[in-house]
Amino acid sequence: MPPRKKQNKPAKPRPKKQKKSSELDSVLDQVSDSTVADAKKELQNLLADAKGNSATFFQQNAQKLEERLVLVSKGELDQDDFNFFVENQKRAAQIFIDSQPPQAQERAEKLTIHLLDVAATKIVPVLIAAAL
Amino acid sequence: MNSKDTIVRNTFLCAVAFALASCATLTKPESDVSFENLRAFEISFVDQYAVPVKRFDAAAFDAKVAEGNAKFQDAMTNEKFKARRPVLKDLADQFKAEAAHLRKKASTGKITKALAAEMKRDINDNYDHATAKKTE
Repeated sequence: MPPRKKQNKPAKPRPKKQKKSSELDSVLDQVSDSTVADAKKELQNLLADAKGNSATFFQQNAQKLEERLVLVSKGELDQDDFNFFVENQKRAAQIFIDSQPPQAQERAEKLTIHLLDVAATKIVPVLIAAAL
Repeated sequence: MNSKDTIVRNTFLCAVAFALASCATLTKPESDVSFENLRAFEISFVDQYAVPVKRFDAAAFDAKVAEGNAKFQDAMTNEKFKARRPVLKDLADQFKAEAAHLRKKASTGKITKALAAEMKRDINDNYDHATAKKTE
């Protein structure tokens, strides 16, 4: 008996992959203050770059920061706590940056220390004000 | 150089290499145990004092911090791997910063569950990085 030929079914159109929206994105979407629009955009771009980087340190640093920003928005951490954790992360980041080759250090600093500074100085005060 | 000299030299080099390897083998686990003891102390410190709505006992808190500082000092003095001493110094500074932050928050009744959880997360990450460092 000849083998049955598989019928060629018309391929179902696959739904387009949508960028997964994080919990932080939802939190940031609720911030309508136009004066921090640029900072919000910068934070989101830096977080995306850090999470897409192959080095685990950048990914972990970004993940921690994102989760702590969400905790701030829920009122579970205050500015003082956030600053304390940012200082810890900056200390660890500096050790990591120093271990990188000189040509990679500027970018490493941008994806860690600068990212943390943007979050602490521009985003957290707005999140706290919105949570009040 | 005759063959006898070569044998003597090679034997000497082997003995030195063996001694160095034995030293590393014998002391690294000891050093790791010291790190793990410090980690356990810090975690229990946070468990004890980063508790929401717990009455703050300043004297007991300060005594515990002094005990912690002494443990770090002992660990630094007894650490056989020179490369690990600056790492221990970083961990000791980190403990002091944690204690200062906890004191401020606990004495004003502003401890949250999230603060305790995130503090423990940082402690564990710091010790994981510290113990992963090379010891040469």
